[in-house]
Amino acid sequence: MATELMPGRKRFTSGSVAADLGLVAWFVFSLFPIVWMVLLSLKSKAEQTTTYFRFSPTLANFHTVLSDSGRAVTSVDFKHALVTSVVNSGGAVLVSLVIGIPAAYAAGRWRFRGSENLLFTMLSFRFAPELMVIVPLFVVYNQIGLFDTKVGQIWVLQLVTMPLVVWILRSYFQDLPPDLEQAALLDGYSRRRAFVMVALPMVRPGIAASALLAFIFAWNNYVFPLILTDSNATTVTVAISKFLGGGGQAYYNLTAAAALIGALPPLALALTIQRYLVRGLSFGAVKA
Amino acid sequence: MGALTVRGLTKRFGRTTAVDGVDLDVRDGEFFVVLGPSGAGKTTTLKSVAGLIDVDAGEVSIAGRSMTGVEPYHRNVAMAFESYALYPQKTVFENLASPLRSGRTGTYTPAQQKERIEAVAGTLGIGTLLARLPRELSNGQRQRVALGRVLVRPADVYLLDEPLSHLDAKLRAQMRVELKQLGEMSSTTSLYVTHDYQEALALGDRIAVLRAGRVVQIGTPLEIWNTPVDTFVARSLGQPEINLFDADVVDGAVRAAAGAIALPVPAGLDLPGDRARIGLRPRDLRVVADGPGAPGTLRFDGAVRLSERLGRLVELTVDVGDRLVVVVTEHPVAEGAAVHLEIPLEHVHLFAAADGGTDGPRLGSGRPTARPPVAALPGEDA
Repeated sequence: MATELMPGRKRFTSGSVAADLGLVAWFVFSLFPIVWMVLLSLKSKAEQTTTYFRFSPTLANFHTVLSDSGRAVTSVDFKHALVTSVVNSGGAVLVSLVIGIPAAYAAGRWRFRGSENLLFTMLSFRFAPELMVIVPLFVVYNQIGLFDTKVGQIWVLQLVTMPLVVWILRSYFQDLPPDLEQAALLDGYSRRRAFVMVALPMVRPGIAASALLAFIFAWNNYVFPLILTDSNATTVTVAISKFLGGGGQAYYNLTAAAALIGALPPLALALTIQRYLVRGLSFGAVKA
Repeated sequence: MGALTVRGLTKRFGRTTAVDGVDLDVRDGEFFVVLGPSGAGKTTTLKSVAGLIDVDAGEVSIAGRSMTGVEPYHRNVAMAFESYALYPQKTVFENLASPLRSGRTGTYTPAQQKERIEAVAGTLGIGTLLARLPRELSNGQRQRVALGRVLVRPADVYLLDEPLSHLDAKLRAQMRVELKQLGEMSSTTSLYVTHDYQEALALGDRIAVLRAGRVVQIGTPLEIWNTPVDTFVARSLGQPEINLFDADVVDGAVRAAAGAIALPVPAGLDLPGDRARIGLRPRDLRVVADGPGAPGTLRFDGAVRLSERLGRLVELTVDVGDRLVVVVTEHPVAEGAAVHLEIPLEHVHLFAAADGGTDGPRLGSGRPTARPPVAALPGEDA
């Protein structure tokens, strides 16, 4: 059985060895930038431009980034930026879920006039580069006082998160057999209660997946906070980049440390949410 | 309780018309079966009655009240889905409690809920499964839970969509018997959808035969069995299927199978174009001894090609003229033996001739008088 499932494991052929070596080479190639970042973050300023692997590792960079001395370098409070990023990304995902889940349900269950156009329009937000809309948004945000506010960031991030949530969840709702909700209707439950009681629990894996993806995309967004915020609502992505050019000097070691810290929250979220991603909940609902 | 009336029900899905002007009158307390092959529009009809489908035309009335524009949760109907549709994250008990807790089918205290659920679970033999989740049940058990969710509360109409179709043959026969004996079933107006003619004949007070979205015939099981309105209905009922032969009127007799079957043209029966189709049910044919035919019967000869034992009964495939006739009998006959076959004239069905595999309407029986014949229904264990 096992050999049938993995025919390549039967014996070593020159082809399979070459393929394995190729995979290892690709693995090293793609992981190398991350390894380099980790090494760089442990180097002192004097060693940050060296290209060999011998150096005296230090955790001082992480300390600098998270303390006032880092702030002195970049004029940005990195810890504040971290909190802002969590609030902005989390807020954006939350808003997208609250509005997007019912939208995805409606779009997945019923065809109404203009439903396809509406969904396509929503998806098209993802086609255009963000830079295309950034100038008018900058003007508008300045006019209505949303510049450099978290609310403004959460709002503008809907361009990123909402299409993801709606399109992913729509396919989940389409895959749900309508029989369960219909059974709930005949049991005497309203459409809203049938949705909450029956449909919603069954798409939990979809909600987890779309929320995670949306959070990562929101977290990694750079252009919107770069142009639409200043010191008050600036985010981790912008704060990291400041270490590259603050005061005419590039702090590569600090940049690496900041980037590593900035990568931790999405990673932690992904690990937490992982078990919801794989488990299908609809098993046993309808006949096999 | 309440009668159910369906008038001119029509539903289209894109270009296909699933249900095409269906009229049904189900009397209060009646067990009404809708029989038809898959794709005939049975489930669409059922879901239209439940209000789960927006119909294109027609009206559904329950207990004299028009259901047009009435939401499913206000119709007071209970439905068992073909897919069971059990809530996967809820236990059997919670599934059964669901209709009692919605507040729209009456108010029940937790004690009353428990009492009703235990009563219905006991009837259906699922009393020991109440703490399980649907995924921990066999298909037969899921089916019972789905039925239980229907029976657990009073409703004007029970809608049952192929509730026995996914059970194995033994369990199906057993559940068919049980279903008929359930008190709730016998007193509540029920619309039961199936593609199994035995279920229809065994359970139905009346049967509607559906084909391609249209009602072909409505009647009691005996009426449908004895006087099928056309060859489609005749073919829908009975296993093995009814023997059908194209026949021509020659010299005052309806002749089929290269003249091997010759039926005197029944008095008072008009056969348009001197053509017809003869229908002989395998179970109505008898293998008889040599000698003159009994009065009032049609008799013809053949040679046994194949003899298959099916439990208590034997299915014979007999060469008659240039055709094969299937006969179900109790006694085995050696393959190759010559046999005489006999069938009472009232069981000889005559249908209008139809070309190219279409169905022709029934013209009458082989018996000269028009009195509708009565025959026993087929047994269960063919």
